[in-house]
Amino acid sequence: MIHIVTGGSGSGKSAFAEEQIVKFSGDRRIYIATMYPFDVESRRRVERHRRMRAGKRFETVECYTHLENLEIPAGADVLLECMSNLTANEMYREDGAGDQTCGAVCRGISALAERAGNLVVVTNEVFSDGIVYDPETERYLEYLGKINQYLAQIADCVTEVVYGIPVCIKGMRR
Amino acid sequence: MKMVIGGAYQGKLAYARNTWKDAGEFLDGALCGWEDLKDCAGISHFEAFIRRGLKDGLPVRSLPEYLKKENPDVIIVCREVGCGIVPMDAFEREYRETVGRVCTELAAMSEEVHRVLCGVGTVIKG
Repeated sequence: MIHIVTGGSGSGKSAFAEEQIVKFSGDRRIYIATMYPFDVESRRRVERHRRMRAGKRFETVECYTHLENLEIPAGADVLLECMSNLTANEMYREDGAGDQTCGAVCRGISALAERAGNLVVVTNEVFSDGIVYDPETERYLEYLGKINQYLAQIADCVTEVVYGIPVCIKGMRR
Repeated sequence: MKMVIGGAYQGKLAYARNTWKDAGEFLDGALCGWEDLKDCAGISHFEAFIRRGLKDGLPVRSLPEYLKKENPDVIIVCREVGCGIVPMDAFEREYRETVGRVCTELAAMSEEVHRVLCGVGTVIKG
């Protein structure tokens, strides 16, 4: 089963996504981390997420670009966090896919979905602040928006987390 | 405790006043102080209260605990500010994340959470 979890900054989407993955009883539980720790703040974020995952039996795999080349054990329960970082990495890193980002990310996700037993993907609501950005940032919004639409299409469930409260967008209402 | 959340200018305060007609006075979070929170019926612009607190170096992360202790029946009206591009400015980033974390704790304490869009509320908890 594929579950997409979205939400704004500080909405509790990561905690919710972790809760979903630990409900599955697979042998292997893989966490795919996509944020490259480039400064103090991002290292602090990584640390915070590590603390949240502690004791939950996750094997952490780092993947900043080229998700489609990532090998995971067949049938594993996989939590991928998050699309906003992966998309930015593909667009802006030297080894990234550049203007082929949408294709690269979507291919990576479908490869992952095929191999994983269950897949939970965290993405990000970054589309509603009403600010008109520079063309480069607008392009980022466009790419992430397209990727999110693809994710929702192949997903069984889409949930928006609002201040820790799951709001069902697609799939089973709880 | 109850919460009304949603984007800017969606009629959140009017919705709150209309939903709990006998509630009493709502304070303006852009103006009121910490002590005022103890005996008000509700507070609107809670995001502005958090923003001012952050600017003044006050312990805003402890607000959920403070409200639970001092005014557990309060109605909190707060703008959702976390659904945009992560700002370049460090303070703006901290502001958005703090509003999110504080409201997530408050939502967990609340018996009802209403989300207002175009003046229309959806009960997402309760």
